[in-house]
Amino acid sequence: MIEKIKLEDLKKENILAFGEIYQGKLHPSSLEILTPLKEIAEKLDKSLILVCLADSLESIHDLESLKKSLADEVWFIFHSKLRDFKDDLYARVFIEIIKSTNPYGVFFPATLIGVSIAPRIAGVLNLGLCAHVNALEIENNQIIMARPTYGENIIAKLTSKTIPVMATISIGAFSPKTSEKTPVFKEVIFPENFSWESALKVRSFRSSKKKPSRLSTAKVVVAGGRGLKNKENFQKLFELAEILKAEVGATRPVCYEGWVEEERMIGVSGVTVKPKVYIGFGISGALQHTAGMENSEFIIAINTDKEAPLVKMAHLSLIGDAKKILDLLLKKLKR
Amino acid sequence: MEKIIVCIKGVPKPGTVKVDPETHTLKRESMELILNPNDRPALEMAIRLKEKYGAEITVISMGPSNIIPLLKQAYALGIDQMILLSDRAFAGADTLATSYVLARAIEKLSPFSIVLMGLKSIDGETAQVPSETAGLLGLPSLINIKELKKEDDKWIAIRENEYGEEEIEVESSLLASVSPQAFDYLRPPSLKRLIEVKEKEPLIWTASDIQAEPEKLGLKGSPTQVVDVFEKKLEMKGTILEGEPQELVEKFIEVLKEKEIIKI
Ligand SMILES: Cc1cc2nc3c(=O)[nH]c(=O)nc-3n(C[C@H](O)[C@H](O)[C@H](O)COP(=O)(O)OP(=O)(O)OC[C@H]3O[C@@H](n4cnc5c(N)ncnc54)[C@H](O)[C@@H]3O)c2cc1C
Ligand SMILES: Cc1cc2nc3c(=O)[nH]c(=O)nc-3n(C[C@H](O)[C@H](O)[C@H](O)COP(=O)(O)OP(=O)(O)OC[C@H]3O[C@@H](n4cnc5c(N)ncnc54)[C@H](O)[C@@H]3O)c2cc1C
Repeated sequence: MIEKIKLEDLKKENILAFGEIYQGKLHPSSLEILTPLKEIAEKLDKSLILVCLADSLESIHDLESLKKSLADEVWFIFHSKLRDFKDDLYARVFIEIIKSTNPYGVFFPATLIGVSIAPRIAGVLNLGLCAHVNALEIENNQIIMARPTYGENIIAKLTSKTIPVMATISIGAFSPKTSEKTPVFKEVIFPENFSWESALKVRSFRSSKKKPSRLSTAKVVVAGGRGLKNKENFQKLFELAEILKAEVGATRPVCYEGWVEEERMIGVSGVTVKPKVYIGFGISGALQHTAGMENSEFIIAINTDKEAPLVKMAHLSLIGDAKKILDLLLKKLKR
Repeated sequence: MEKIIVCIKGVPKPGTVKVDPETHTLKRESMELILNPNDRPALEMAIRLKEKYGAEITVISMGPSNIIPLLKQAYALGIDQMILLSDRAFAGADTLATSYVLARAIEKLSPFSIVLMGLKSIDGETAQVPSETAGLLGLPSLINIKELKKEDDKWIAIRENEYGEEEIEVESSLLASVSPQAFDYLRPPSLKRLIEVKEKEPLIWTASDIQAEPEKLGLKGSPTQVVDVFEKKLEMKGTILEGEPQELVEKFIEVLKEKEIIKI
């Protein structure tokens, strides 16, 4: 049984996190973002609330993972009109909750849905919104957020002057954790006069044909950057990947060059990987890239430059021409 | 006739961004400005809509006067009107302050039927400006659309998200960001228009032209603040091997065996 509670009776001044439910499935990043937020909430002595919008309790497949989540409470808003994701309606529901519970912080996973509604809310309420942060800390009772910026290894620390503090959190930046303590589930009852209408009507949905990338869960990743010089050399990574049962990853410039599809981009704008072994051919190791692979268990770098950041970060670095080493390696392994 | 508004951004050409090691600020002199590549599909979509339904396209961009050549590039592709939103008070804007200026300008251009933007810039890369501007305008928004067409009085959009594609119907005017993968083909500039645009200059709108409240502009109007910029220190932790490729590859294979990636 879950307790029903009126919007105005909800606990105030919490840290809210968006629990993204799409067609009954909870997006895993909704649980990931609870990991840093739990620490923040404890330090600030606030409750951590996961807010989920769906058409009904029965439609949610992942209640078990919600029960084990780090949240202190899970608030559900159920309405048949919430079955499809509608930017304007979802944002309005959140705005009602923000107006009536005065949260200290509101956070979203940086999924396309998160990035659809968080800025709408920020725009309507005139709030600051930090984008794609991958670290959060408390200094002088203030939430400080960090994200990589341009330049090779520069990190910017951001704050937001407005309350609630709002941010989207990079997908894959944190690992989900479970808690022994089951969160309290509450169904929030909205006022009679709240309008559930939307200017958008979802007519149909077609599940993506693209196979979900196996890159993020691969045990071995072979990645290539500009140091491989051309597309032809880059393509040889696929041969190596087949032998090593690995997935191929890439840096952003080579995706933009068209050497490989963007789905294979590793880093802040792409996928986060945590393989047992990561092998980088001709990759400098800019922060935007390493943010997506720094938790790899063992890192091997192949680079002509001893000073390249990835070389410094790697467990093993081979100083030499990426193409030559790749060719030789393939020759030996094929034998 | 329909009016379509496209918002474009000038971004530093990748590779030309240099950070001053002392002050930790961007060295603006070394930067070369280009049209945000993700805005090209938005321009392409607007021009296709114009060809299909007849429309007038206005391109707006907020920034200093060195983005005028980028507005002219858009003109050469086939847009009709160029507006530069430029005022010293706009400098240092975060996404909220940027969206505020765009929203004021869009409001001044109303009535319009569609506002298109890129999914995200390649420098700030927040992807926030489209929905934030829509929030300020109270306009419905969709991000990452691949197609847009009309059916009677309705707009029908195909939106792509992590799960698949949705077909969405919208009854009113709409603000949308266009997927970078929306088109296989992006038209080149027309020669005729390239010559034509030499004679043209964009309209320039300042803060007072869009009746903007001064406290909502630029750095002052930006709630997010950069409090610190620092370099991530990398400690040397691994083995660095130099030598003949032959030797290096032998060592490489040894390690792969050790890690049980390949069998002995
Ligand atoms: C907002 C923003 C977001 C970004 N997001 C991402 C992201 O998600 N993922 C990402 O990867 N990047 C991202 N980038 C780009 C990132 O900053 C770097 O520019 C990029 O990672 C560099 O790619 P690279 O290592 O292939 O190229 P380079 O930096 O050019 O490095 C090439 C390397 O190859 C070495 N090399 C040269 N010749 C040889 C040779 N013959 N043999 C061996 N080595 C050789 C060089 O010494 C150098 O270290 C982003 C940038 C911005 C501004
Ligand atoms: C490294 C870095 C980090 C930043 N982090 C944040 C942050 O966390 N929060 C925050 O609020 N701001 C942040 N900013 C500031 C933000 O980038 C600027 O406000 C910028 O003016 C707009 O954001 P964007 O480039 O991310 O645009 P996006 O939202 O990524 O751009 C999407 C689309 O909006 C349109 N658009 C964007 N800017 C303009 C413009 N000036 N004129 C016309 N159309 C435009 C274009 O169609 C573009 O394709 C950051 C900037 C940098 C460089």
